[in-house]
Amino acid sequence: MTKVNSVSYPAGSRVRVRTGDPDHHTRVPRYVRGHTGVVVAALGDWPVPDDSARGIDPPRVETCYAVRFSAADLWGSGDHTVTVDLWESYLDRP
Amino acid sequence: MGGQTGFGPVPVGADGSPPFAADWEARVYALATVLRRRGAFNSDELRDAIERLPPEQYLGASYYERWLGALETLVAEKGLAP
Amino acid sequence: MTGHDDLPAAARTRRLEERLIAAGLTSDEEIDEYLTRLYAKASAVNGARMAARAWTDPQYRDLLLSDGDAAAAQMGFGDLTYALRVVENTETTHNVIVCTLCSCYPVSLLGPSPGWYKSFAYRSRTVREPRAVLAEFGLTLPDEVEISVWDSTSEARYMVLPARPAGTGGLAADELAALVTRNGLIGTALV
Repeated sequence: MTKVNSVSYPAGSRVRVRTGDPDHHTRVPRYVRGHTGVVVAALGDWPVPDDSARGIDPPRVETCYAVRFSAADLWGSGDHTVTVDLWESYLDRP
Repeated sequence: MGGQTGFGPVPVGADGSPPFAADWEARVYALATVLRRRGAFNSDELRDAIERLPPEQYLGASYYERWLGALETLVAEKGLAP
Repeated sequence: MTGHDDLPAAARTRRLEERLIAAGLTSDEEIDEYLTRLYAKASAVNGARMAARAWTDPQYRDLLLSDGDAAAAQMGFGDLTYALRVVENTETTHNVIVCTLCSCYPVSLLGPSPGWYKSFAYRSRTVREPRAVLAEFGLTLPDEVEISVWDSTSEARYMVLPARPAGTGGLAADELAALVTRNGLIGTALV
C-alpha cells in the first residue's frame, strides 16, 4: 500500500489534533479535537476511514499514530493518560 | 462518546456468558462478518451506517439492534438484495 | 423508513437473512459454520496463553510488546484481521482498553466481547474517570500507580499483558495461563 502524505511524526513529538466537525464518518474522537498530545509510536500505514466509509476509491493511505494526552489537559482533572490512534491528516504541528 | 456524561454505572454483570443474549444477535454478527468478507461493504461503511442511525434509534437500540439497523441500511443503499 | 422496523429484532434478522440468501450472498450453512468456528476458536484462553508465555520467556515477552502480530503468529494465530498491540502492566503503570467510538475488540484472542465493554457507560466513562470505572469492577489501585487508557480508534487492537502474580514461580504453562482472566487482558482486573 503506498503512503500519500510525506509528513512524519517521530515518537516523542508533540502534535495537535485538528478541530472541525465533518459531516462524514471520521475516527477522531470529539474529546481530543483541538488538544495537543505526544506521539507514542507510528502504528502502520492504513487507509483513512473517512475515505473508506464514503467509498472513495482508492482511499488515502496515511500513517496512523498512537498519541497520548493527559487527563488534566482533556478534562481539567484526573491523573491518568489517554492514548488515541490518529491518522496523519487528523494532526498538525502545534 | 468518550467523556460524555450521564450514562450511569457500568453493567459489570453483563460479562459475556453467554456471548450473545439471543440467537438473532449471533446471526447479525455472523451476517455482518460474512458480508464484509464477501466485499459487500467494508468495516468503515458499517460503522458509518451505525453512526447514521437516527439519534433516538442509536441511543434506544441495543448494541446488536444497531448492527441490524446498519445492515438494513447498507443492504438498501447498495441494492444488495433487490 | 418502512413498517418492518416495528418487528422484533429476531423477525427482522430472519427477514434480512432470507433476502440475502435469496440474492445468493450467503447461506444458512455459511452462517452456521461461521458461528460454530467462532465459538470453538475465539476465546480468552488464546490471550491467556500468550500472556503466560511472556511471563516465563523473556524473548517472547519482548516480541509480544514490540510486534504483537508476530508474537500471535508464533502461538498459531497468524491470521489476525487487526494489528495487535500489547501493553504491559508494571508496578507503576496499569493499562485499560476501551473503544469509545464503537467497541472494537480483539475477538479472536479474547472471544466475543462482554456486554459491559460495549455499554455506553464503559465507552463514555473509561477515558474520563478510569479509577471510578475500575472501582465498579472491584479494582482499586494505589494512587501512585498511573492509569494508561488506550482508545482503540484504528486498525490496531489492544490487549493488556497483566503483571505476573507473586508466588507463581513453580507453576507450569497451563497453570499460569489459567490465572489470566479475560478482564485481566482488558485491564478491568488484576490477575
